[in-house]
Amino acid sequence: MLVLGIETSCDETSAAVVQSDGRNFSVLSNVVSSQIKTHAKYGGVVPEVAARIHVEAILPVIEKAFGSGGMKKIDAIAVASGPGLITSLLVGNEVARILSWFLKKPLVGLNHIEAHIYANWLMNKKMNFPALCLVVSGGHTELILMCGHGKYEVIGETRDDAAGECFDKAAKILGLGYPGGPAVAAAAENFVFASIAKQSHKDGIAASPRQGGTPRNDIRLPRPMMDSPDFDFSFSGLKTAVLYAARDLKNKYKMEKIIPAMAHEVQEAIVDVLLAKTIRAAKKYNVKTVMLAGGVSANKSLRERFVAAMEKELPSADWNIPDFKYCTDNAAMVAAAGYFHVAKKDFTPWRKLKVDPNWEL
Amino acid sequence: MKKIFKNEKETLVFAEKFAKTLHGGEVVALVGELGAGKTVFTRGLARGLGIKERIQSPTFLLMKIYKVSPSTGLPRRQAGSGHKIKTLVHVDAYRLSGAGELVGIGILDWFGRADAVTVIEWADKVQELLRGEKVIKIKMELGEGEEERKIEIIGN
Repeated sequence: MLVLGIETSCDETSAAVVQSDGRNFSVLSNVVSSQIKTHAKYGGVVPEVAARIHVEAILPVIEKAFGSGGMKKIDAIAVASGPGLITSLLVGNEVARILSWFLKKPLVGLNHIEAHIYANWLMNKKMNFPALCLVVSGGHTELILMCGHGKYEVIGETRDDAAGECFDKAAKILGLGYPGGPAVAAAAENFVFASIAKQSHKDGIAASPRQGGTPRNDIRLPRPMMDSPDFDFSFSGLKTAVLYAARDLKNKYKMEKIIPAMAHEVQEAIVDVLLAKTIRAAKKYNVKTVMLAGGVSANKSLRERFVAAMEKELPSADWNIPDFKYCTDNAAMVAAAGYFHVAKKDFTPWRKLKVDPNWEL
Repeated sequence: MKKIFKNEKETLVFAEKFAKTLHGGEVVALVGELGAGKTVFTRGLARGLGIKERIQSPTFLLMKIYKVSPSTGLPRRQAGSGHKIKTLVHVDAYRLSGAGELVGIGILDWFGRADAVTVIEWADKVQELLRGEKVIKIKMELGEGEEERKIEIIGN
């Protein structure tokens, strides 16, 4: 079966054709046109501009996704209908509606978060239920328990800011670029303990080597809610802690001396909390598979430490992480999620397709 | 009116009380730097209006809409006055570069509606949009201690 996926929830215009028999997924095409550079120029997202860029990009992107295969061969169309920015969502959904009518192919309007989870199926690994997925992005931080396809239970979520938002705002406080996640991660990479250790006495703040290879960081930020018995998260307080720490340290040291250590500690704090809760939830619910999803799951430190934690704490469970290109917004994940709706004949007639910017899974 | 709150809980309680003074149709303009407590204030306000849903930061979605659950609505005093607030519109202008952007996502549909209250974080970024509206400006500042916040309410 061939499914065309369409994704325009936020900053990316994407179309993909994915083939599947339910066991194996092959991505025949996955075209992503990003607006991040445009938004960086404006210093933020501009919904009107975003919508206009989506309008300009969507048809060429779909055309490219079809390639020489032609559009008539697809069996169904899947589109992300929310959550997201309403003006952006509308573009992809209107195009999907028209294609469904014109090509006389069935349509599925699905949840963007669900699509992120299904990015894991593109990896063609063993995926047994019950499964647990940590969905982390700029707008979401959720632990979702799945007892089967399409069966979701949100067992924990952020009470304030999403993890990706915390990365972004910490980047802003530290004067790093946009988008903040990659900027913080890159700055954290510079936290090479050997070089800083040399200066640690002189500067007083930086790091010194610790047994086991990880550098010791003299900056210590809180790990909000890490030990609370529930599976909720809170990152607003961490953001404020970064603000105060930066303010205090700025008086004593040059900002560029503090940045790598701060970035490293912010990342450590976020990853510590995310993994502690994920592993604890996986044990409590006795899941067979644990997955990551969403833009923040492209973070190298999170990926590496997730695998290490899984192998140490839950060696009998399977784990999965989407390929980098399927972590951030893309249409291949929408097509993969769409496949399971199509298999159940769970269609959305084009007349009834509706966008919902606040859609909760 | 300028007040100092020692911790998050005091801010929440104050915002909850503040919510009870609203009648509907107001635009609450929150102004203050990162970490000043704008979302915390909104959370208290939502609780005061009788919203049970969790208030998450709207930074990425720009606008979130919450319904007041019927059973927990406002006290009779306000309900009886014919200004029953049914919806809280929570907007964040942090990522925006100007006011026109909020028009694009339909904010004007909510302004002035007697059954809705709109809260805008980073309202100073979209000032020109607020002209002619029933605006209550709330200035928030970081205090001395890590949890201390200064809040100033500047009327219409």
